[in-house]
Amino acid sequence: MTERETLKADVPAESLVHQRPTNVLVVGVGGQGVIMISKVLASLSKELGHQVKQSEVHGMAKRGGAVFSHVRFGPAVFSPTIPEGEADILVALEWAEGLRWLPHLKQDSGTFIADTQQIVPPFACRNRSRGADLGYPRETVPDVMEKIANSFALDAVGIATEMGVAKAANTVLLGTLSAALDFPVEAWKSVISEFVPPKTIEANIRAFDAGRDWALSFDRQTHLKDWTGRTVRSPAEVVDSAAGITSTLEITEEWCKGCDICIKFCPERCLAMDARQIAILVDPDRCTGCRICEWLCPDLAITVHTQTNTDSA
Amino acid sequence: MSDVAQSEFNIRKYIREDLFPHFMCPGCGHGIALRALLNAVHNLGIDKNRLAIVSGIGCSGRVGAYIDANTFHTTHGRPLAFATGLKLARPDLEVIVITGDGDCLAIGGNHLIHACRRNLNITCLMLNNEVYGMTGGQVSPTTSTDRFTTTTQSGNYEPVFDACKLAEGAGAAFVGREMTLQTPALRDLIMEAIAHEGFSFVEVLSDCTEVFGRKNDMGDSMEMVLAQKSGFRSNSYGTAVDEPFKPRGMKTGVLHRSERLEYAAAYQQHHAEKSST
Amino acid sequence: MSTDQNLQNLQGNRACALAAIHAGCRLFAGYPITPSSEIAESMSAELPKVGGVFVQMEDEIASMGAVIGASAGGVKAMTATSGPGFSLKQEALGYAALTEIPSVIINVMRGGPSTGMPTRPAQGDIMQARWGTHGDHPTVVLVPWSVEEVFAETIRAFNLAELLRTPVIILFDEVIGHLVETVDLARFQNPQITDRKWADGKIEGFKPYRDPGDGVPMMARPGDGRRVHTTGLSHGESGFPTQNAGEVEKFMSRLLGKIAKHRDEVERIDARCCDDADVVVVAYGITARAAHRAVSMLRDQGIKAGLFRPITLWPFPESAFKAVAEHARLVLVPEMNAGQLILEVERLVSDKTTVAGLNLFYGEPITPQQIVEKAEALLSQ
Ligand SMILES: Cc1ncc(C[n+]2csc(CCOP(=O)(O)OP(=O)(O)O)c2C)c(N)n1
Ligand code: SF4
Ligand code: SF4
Ligand code: SF4
Ligand SMILES: [Mg+2]
Repeated sequence: MTERETLKADVPAESLVHQRPTNVLVVGVGGQGVIMISKVLASLSKELGHQVKQSEVHGMAKRGGAVFSHVRFGPAVFSPTIPEGEADILVALEWAEGLRWLPHLKQDSGTFIADTQQIVPPFACRNRSRGADLGYPRETVPDVMEKIANSFALDAVGIATEMGVAKAANTVLLGTLSAALDFPVEAWKSVISEFVPPKTIEANIRAFDAGRDWALSFDRQTHLKDWTGRTVRSPAEVVDSAAGITSTLEITEEWCKGCDICIKFCPERCLAMDARQIAILVDPDRCTGCRICEWLCPDLAITVHTQTNTDSA
Repeated sequence: MSDVAQSEFNIRKYIREDLFPHFMCPGCGHGIALRALLNAVHNLGIDKNRLAIVSGIGCSGRVGAYIDANTFHTTHGRPLAFATGLKLARPDLEVIVITGDGDCLAIGGNHLIHACRRNLNITCLMLNNEVYGMTGGQVSPTTSTDRFTTTTQSGNYEPVFDACKLAEGAGAAFVGREMTLQTPALRDLIMEAIAHEGFSFVEVLSDCTEVFGRKNDMGDSMEMVLAQKSGFRSNSYGTAVDEPFKPRGMKTGVLHRSERLEYAAAYQQHHAEKSST
Repeated sequence: MSTDQNLQNLQGNRACALAAIHAGCRLFAGYPITPSSEIAESMSAELPKVGGVFVQMEDEIASMGAVIGASAGGVKAMTATSGPGFSLKQEALGYAALTEIPSVIINVMRGGPSTGMPTRPAQGDIMQARWGTHGDHPTVVLVPWSVEEVFAETIRAFNLAELLRTPVIILFDEVIGHLVETVDLARFQNPQITDRKWADGKIEGFKPYRDPGDGVPMMARPGDGRRVHTTGLSHGESGFPTQNAGEVEKFMSRLLGKIAKHRDEVERIDARCCDDADVVVVAYGITARAAHRAVSMLRDQGIKAGLFRPITLWPFPESAFKAVAEHARLVLVPEMNAGQLILEVERLVSDKTTVAGLNLFYGEPITPQQIVEKAEALLSQ
């Protein structure tokens, strides 16, 4: 890939092979701060004398949809995008999005930094095309980490929340990222200070340190062994389980044509096909009321009813 | 407009329940589009007595019948012509056209471009499944390159229309595209389209599980839906690559928006001026 | 010179446009074609003055679609065209017939087929008007012979369309379309206007295609809360598609039979000197004017000739015609076509009567002389 770029750019091939850029891919869903991370990184590399290309897609940010950003820096960078299998570092602010982008990571040498937070985006579980061996959310965090040598899965949201700065989870990840790159710590902090609201500088610096410290003290074996499987689920749109909202699912059997869509798309795997080829809810407790099944049932056979427990008005 | 509706959306209030289950095949994307549309209608607080759904012929055209509104199932390719008369006669009605890729771009192509040009306040949803579903799976103006249909038995070699570019070029005030998999986004897009003054065109990337999916060995409906999401639409849109990161995909969301004077308003304004001078 | 405001020199096409507005037409959708374009042109000038809408569509198919759409919305609507455009409208015409949406379609006939002779008269669309669209369908076709009658029949066309909930076609030809005659508008001062039978009463359980007795269902006005479904698919009383043989049979029988139930309002003829006629000339439109003259020329020669002129061409006024043809030796059917209405005439006379056509189709109106000569030749055989 780099060679082709070289030819295109009419630059002697050799000079670039040695100076190939560093590729960092940042992914997540809308509202998490993907763009902030990539901007900090881009700005920092520029200040440190690199050529930088940063491009992003945040078309659906408002709707909780996927957001991703490519940052490439080095002595010379031509293409703004990172081809598949070429990312040196993949930073995922959301677990499923991280898994979805794994094919972009360099095999063997790529570094995977991921928040274990799972936000069920409206239409998450995307791109699980046939043959893809990583599905959401079947693979547990240890499963994935076992496959990727340089993987760092952390509960950034949990860390930030404990510090009382829940919104700075992305800065925690920046701290972790800083451990994977050779940039001076002070440079990181000064760039971060430029990008966050003045009142929050102090909190963000603390979050950065927490993420960095976590990475530096990271011990793979204990981490895997002690993994408790804590995940934060923020189902799309409707349900905020913290606010005491529960949901029930109604399937109109006479309308169901057994197309399988709801079953395959349910992120929680709580639906199944019965012997009559009709979808049934087999695991109501796991249902988060995310409504994916309702949205996608072509036969309008599923209705998710939500109730607020605390306030019935 | 971006505010979420006051009351919870209950789809049963908007459908003719006694006609269910509907006629569509298992997994057909048109049904998903139907939900998105009805949710948009709900969120906008449109009175269904004032809602007129005008559809053409095709599986897409038959979707309209399931909506509990004033529904008109017209002739193949002509729903926009019909809707033009209806809206001119009854500006108080919210007129929404449901059409298919064949209905809208082949037999009805002339009406589409002129509806765009005129810019009458109508919303047009084109359910694009890149095939003639109703007639058993013949090639359509949006069938991707190399796809098998009953009239392209060795793969499609004809180029395709980019319907959104066509609509924009012809003057539509609002143009957008979304896929059925992104149903909430589709709903939001439809809401914006309806709310926009003037002619709004929305291309819904739907899918035909039964005849297109099977013929092309695209797996079951779920897999088709996913395939669509992952950009299987290959390079069918030729050089119309919109997104650097999805070189084989298509841009979705609001693609064009303008405040061009709406037709009925222009008509009134013009004749008021002429009669006062 | 009269100063009577009501006496106006009007061109046939313009008379048609003014009459339409008189009848309550508030939307015109059309596509230019000679020799009908003056209708659209007049409409474009006149409709905005009365708060109506004129729209020039992208083609005749769209025009017909827009007319049906407007009428479905409750506004009286019309389109006008000529042969090639009339062909394009046929599919939608069938849709209007099946869905029972009123509309008025003007076809100013010209030489054909294809582009033919755009500026020359013809009567070549008699059968297309009857059978042009696919499938069995009710048809009402009117054929005025003068500018004044264009005015009258245009109003009647709108009334019939509403009364019967069906498209009504008016056929005239290039000569009448472009003919200027003095019309006494006093006659049309307070025309009788038929309006749509809108559904009233209970919304619950409303059946949009239920026969109230006269074969013509009440129509739901969009917005009235009934929320009905309109489809070109065969449907039952509920309006929803059905393939149930019994339901379709019932529906189609009503649809095809509703015109007959209103035969008195629909049929209109002009029979002159027919009571004792040995020779009956059956003619319509501009040809009937020549036939009228020919009849008096024949009478002058002592030949008992009469004119039978259907003003309503379809459904053909069968019994009225049979009554005059019963005693006739000869029925002569002059037409500016290769012989179209004659097929219907032949069907209705007994073996004792000779039926002959006079068929000229080179773009010239038939003259009285030609009709007289033809009659004489036939009588001397
Ligand atoms: C004048 C006319 N020509 C052809 C047909 C046959 N026909 C019915 S539906 C259809 C194609 C529909 O394709 P599309 O608009 O893509 O709708 P889909 O069924 O795929 O939703 C055709 C050709 C017709 N009904 N009328
Ligand atoms: S069953 Fe529950 S968790 Fe699964 S998709 Fe439906 S609402 Fe979401
Ligand atoms: S998506 Fe709907 S139709 Fe399909 S299996 Fe589920 S409930 Fe049945
Ligand atoms: S044929 Fe295709 S488009 Fe038509 S209902 Fe079936 S799946 Fe849907
Ligand atoms: Mg199609």
